Amino acid sequence: MPKEHANWSPYDNNGGTCVAIAGADYCVIAADTRMSTGYSILTREYSKICKLADKSFMASSGFQADVKALQKVLSSRHLIYQHQHNKQMSCPAMAQLLSNTLYYKRFFPYYAFNVLGGLDSEGKGCVFTYDAVGSYERVGYSAQGSGATLITPFLDNQLKSPSPLLLPAKDAVTPLSEAEAIDLVKTCFSSATERDIYTGDSVEIIILNAKGVRHESEPLRKD
Amino acid sequence: MSIFEYNGSALVAMVGKNCFAIASDRRLGVQLQTIATDFQRIFKIHDKLFLGLSGLGSDAQTLHQRLVFRHKLYQLREERDMKPETFASLVSAILYEKRFGPYFCQPVIAGLGEDDKPFICTMDSIGAKELAKDFVVAGTASESLYGACESMFKPDMDHEELFETVSQALLSSVDRDCLSGWGGHVYVVTPTEVTERILKGRMD
Repeated sequence: MPKEHANWSPYDNNGGTCVAIAGADYCVIAADTRMSTGYSILTREYSKICKLADKSFMASSGFQADVKALQKVLSSRHLIYQHQHNKQMSCPAMAQLLSNTLYYKRFFPYYAFNVLGGLDSEGKGCVFTYDAVGSYERVGYSAQGSGATLITPFLDNQLKSPSPLLLPAKDAVTPLSEAEAIDLVKTCFSSATERDIYTGDSVEIIILNAKGVRHESEPLRKD
Repeated sequence: MSIFEYNGSALVAMVGKNCFAIASDRRLGVQLQTIATDFQRIFKIHDKLFLGLSGLGSDAQTLHQRLVFRHKLYQLREERDMKPETFASLVSAILYEKRFGPYFCQPVIAGLGEDDKPFICTMDSIGAKELAKDFVVAGTASESLYGACESMFKPDMDHEELFETVSQALLSSVDRDCLSGWGGHVYVVTPTEVTERILKGRMD
């Protein structure tokens, strides 16, 4: 008699796309604000970005209940760190914490596809990209979520080194200016919205630089 | 593993001002192994009509042979070339004949119709036509191609700018797909000439 499988899954996919780009002295983190389930929209105004520390913002797509739980765990761990060390966590430190937190649940994972963006201790932009179980890498730019396959090749074309034979430096950041990077992000989301049904409504953009944090919001197609 | 992902392919066609471009990758693989790096996926039906076939390589070649045969018959009977819209309907009918045992191909048709107006369309493996005014994509790299084309496309590009745009879109997209790549093959067709160019990209 063949084994019966559960027809209930603990996971759901709420869709959405997240993007982050690291600059010489800034970091742009963006995510759309649509939350869906199946072919329905749950809300058009849901923020997928969470401030983990002064200089670390995490954008996560996937199953938002797991994302919410992950954000709570990381925020409380950061609070404990602040009590014990009397300072904020640096972005690379938060990156490692996120990786460890995700791997902790290796055999019942957080269904969360994260991008961590911020400024490192030298003030340079840094972006870390993750899979669901904590494998991570520092990169110059990244996209995660339902629109990632549409956006990533375009970012490669605009931000990668001129020849594929030239390997970029380990801590490569884009030479683009802050305004150019923000414009690029808006273009990415407009294009992804056209072809991905789970992306749209509006895009929330966070810009981190030496002066502080700035928010921008741009409407997207609602269909 | 889907049969559509057995050989790997990337196809794109884009409309410009009184011209069109159709481009493909050059890899033929058997799952993870690369067999050929010069595989022809785009075929000329007549001077102003090109057909690209993504998906299973064997079905692509067989379909091409059948369609060339049908077009030659048409030329003999009608004493003229087929219009792209007509050819698209022919491809659609031939695919639907095999509704319950289909060809595992997704065609991309591009041509200059009446008054040299550019025409592009794609269809699924059983012949459902999708007409577009801007661009159409097919193959294992189709999602990447959708993103790249959507961001890079502008209406009414001339043939030089169109070539640059299609090439950049194709190369960026196949670089994110393991099953397609090993260069590119781009045809740019205007009412007066056909330019065929080979692109060198990441050879992996």
